[in-house]
Amino acid sequence: MAGLRREFRRMGKSRAYLFGMIFVPVLVAVTFLSLLGEGLPRRVPTTVVDLDHTPLSRSVVRTLNSNEMIDLVGEAESYDAALAQVRRGESFGFFVIPANFEKDALSLRTPTLSYYTNMTYFVPGTLAFKGFKTIAVTVSGGVVKTALQDLGVSDQAMAGLLQPVSIDNYELGNPWMNYSIYLTPSFAIGAFALMILLMTVYSITMEIKDGTSPGWLRTCGGHLPTALLSKMLPHTAIYVATGTLLLWLLFGYAHFPSHGSLLWLWIGMVLFVIANQAFALTIVCLLPNPRLSFSICALFGVLTFSFAGFSFPVESMYGGVGVFSWLAPTRYLFLIYINNALNGYSVWFVRWWFVALLAFPAVAALATLRLKKALEHPVYVP
Amino acid sequence: MCPKKTSSMGLFRKTGQWLSMMGRVFRNEWKLVLGDMGVLLFFVALPLAYPVAYTLVYNPEVVDNIRIAVVDNSRTKESRELVRTVDATPALEVYDYASDLGEAKKMMAETKVYGVLEIPADYARKLGRGEQVHVPFYADMSLLLRFRSEMGALTDVQIQMGKEIMPVTIDETPLSALAAGRELSLPVKSDSYFLGDTEQGFASFVIPGIIILILQQSLVLGVCLIGGTSRERRRRDPQGLDPKAVNEAGPWATIWGKTLCYTVFYIPFVLYLTRIVPEMFSLPHYGSPVQYLLFLLPLLLSSSFLGLTLVYFMKERESAFIIVVFTSVIFLFLSGLTWPRYAMSRFWVWMSDIVPATWGIEGFISINNNGATLAEESTDYIALWILSAVYMFTAAWVCRKIAVSSRLRALSKKESGE
Repeated sequence: MAGLRREFRRMGKSRAYLFGMIFVPVLVAVTFLSLLGEGLPRRVPTTVVDLDHTPLSRSVVRTLNSNEMIDLVGEAESYDAALAQVRRGESFGFFVIPANFEKDALSLRTPTLSYYTNMTYFVPGTLAFKGFKTIAVTVSGGVVKTALQDLGVSDQAMAGLLQPVSIDNYELGNPWMNYSIYLTPSFAIGAFALMILLMTVYSITMEIKDGTSPGWLRTCGGHLPTALLSKMLPHTAIYVATGTLLLWLLFGYAHFPSHGSLLWLWIGMVLFVIANQAFALTIVCLLPNPRLSFSICALFGVLTFSFAGFSFPVESMYGGVGVFSWLAPTRYLFLIYINNALNGYSVWFVRWWFVALLAFPAVAALATLRLKKALEHPVYVP
Repeated sequence: MCPKKTSSMGLFRKTGQWLSMMGRVFRNEWKLVLGDMGVLLFFVALPLAYPVAYTLVYNPEVVDNIRIAVVDNSRTKESRELVRTVDATPALEVYDYASDLGEAKKMMAETKVYGVLEIPADYARKLGRGEQVHVPFYADMSLLLRFRSEMGALTDVQIQMGKEIMPVTIDETPLSALAAGRELSLPVKSDSYFLGDTEQGFASFVIPGIIILILQQSLVLGVCLIGGTSRERRRRDPQGLDPKAVNEAGPWATIWGKTLCYTVFYIPFVLYLTRIVPEMFSLPHYGSPVQYLLFLLPLLLSSSFLGLTLVYFMKERESAFIIVVFTSVIFLFLSGLTWPRYAMSRFWVWMSDIVPATWGIEGFISINNNGATLAEESTDYIALWILSAVYMFTAAWVCRKIAVSSRLRALSKKESGE
């Protein structure tokens, strides 16, 4: 009890705790919610180069204008002018209608439409590519259609002729292709994990730095497990409150789809909090030195955003890199989120990820054997 | 004549004094940087190791061999042909057949497959009649990158099937008589070209931008660590001075001395990040080194001054970790690299405007990936210089403020103590 009171007093004295444990995780979640807005950056700024200037080429330009993916911000006079606009970042791609396009198309001399997309910017580049491709196919189909109609082919036969196999996509769980549904929860939990790691290291190593750790142990009767629990449990409570707020922000306020059970996701979040605290504790036990444990946790926490597979799938990574993803508690909560909440698979299919989260405190318990000496004789190396 | 001469002499002497003071700060800062393992971790280890770590994560570049299941309700030669075509794409790999959608769904839940192709029972019959047949594909949407690869592959399959089937269909219908002597291939072709990241690889897309963010963030972190540590020393000092700093130097000489030290220190790392890393992993780099090295100068200056400004919030050494580390994630998104700036609200555009890395990334990747010239990136370049100027003033203000307030605190402590 005395240990708990001591910890609350310590937390009250420094604003860093409030900042790192509540403010930052919520700030990151709110930032992503607000920044990603509607979740799909439609209307990519693009240009067109019309070298033909005929009724047919103008109709292509009109089709471009009406496509929902792209926003025709202007017409460039030449390929070079359009490319310069891409370099200046004013557009993300352009569509080129060659000279003599109409004449060649109607006399079946097969003119070529070309389109360029700036893949330096992945998302707009991809969206512009998608829009351009649709238009190229539409235009081509339109011309064929006219030709075939002249031959007296029926509409039905035409569809079978032009595109015999049509593969229809059903985007399960996210038919809007909303990026925010992936990015916001993953980055919110990634940032949350990062802050739990750093704040846990901070709370323990500050005792070593200030030389207060012997006093801390004494308050708890020299019993290390009591000392650690009385320090970390109040933090756990605060993190769970923060985590609950994050879940509410995502599923309550922002109405992200949840096809599974929010209760299980919440339980996963609680285990995730404990797992992260345990991870940081393990690091501190192995390296009871603020500089190294801070650096390791910061490095790991930041790299987690990459190797947890939020955007690039783990199974496509090199084996030696993919392995790291399984060391991160974030990976497990992310899997619980996408499989249970987003895809609506039953909790049964994610059971092992819950077990994995439980393994972290078990490892930490083993590691604490080393910590007592460091706390009794605090040595601070800046 | 005479008074003017003395005043100009005074100005000359003053400039000389200022320069020598700045030189002292510059030399002293080298000692601080080299003597602090924590700072060296940020200044040396971070720029050296992070890009390698990131590239290793993303270096497989493209997502391929995505496992999918097939529910073949047609079970004909034609449907097997379709499955073979799908399997032959680099992106997709037919993992297994499922007897019905229920079984396929279970395979998805067990994450054995990330998509299901359901071939309808009348697949072959419809093709034989020359009708269009719709084949549903159920895509797991748990990662957009996977979905993107699936889509690309299926579109190619569609086109390929069309090419294979069309001539057959024509031959089998009365159309062949009509079409005789005429080319019935598509009368309009289209070609697509990818600029910058021509392979559409993930590492090639993300690393050139990350490099710039690493430059800014490692610099800011190190500067904040130095600043926080110095403030701890000031708090312990009876006079509120930092025994390891050049306390006689004014704020301007201090911030310039420090900034020049960091800038010189970073030159080898800039070369490593912009020249060696892309070479090591064959990432796109088409731009001229002169152009982007010139471009990066104000990035270093503004990052250093930004760091010196943020020292305001560094009450202690460890604050750097708590306050600065998490901002990398937000800055990455604000830069427009992953999320385009045209889709941001006014507020976030403004917020991103004040981060040097936003302009740095935009300009650098244009020069590096798209081969733009410095003149074409003048907006970004000028913005970086403006940010340098703005943060120079705030840094000087913070520098003075910290010196004054820690002196005052020391004085009041002394008085209350006596």
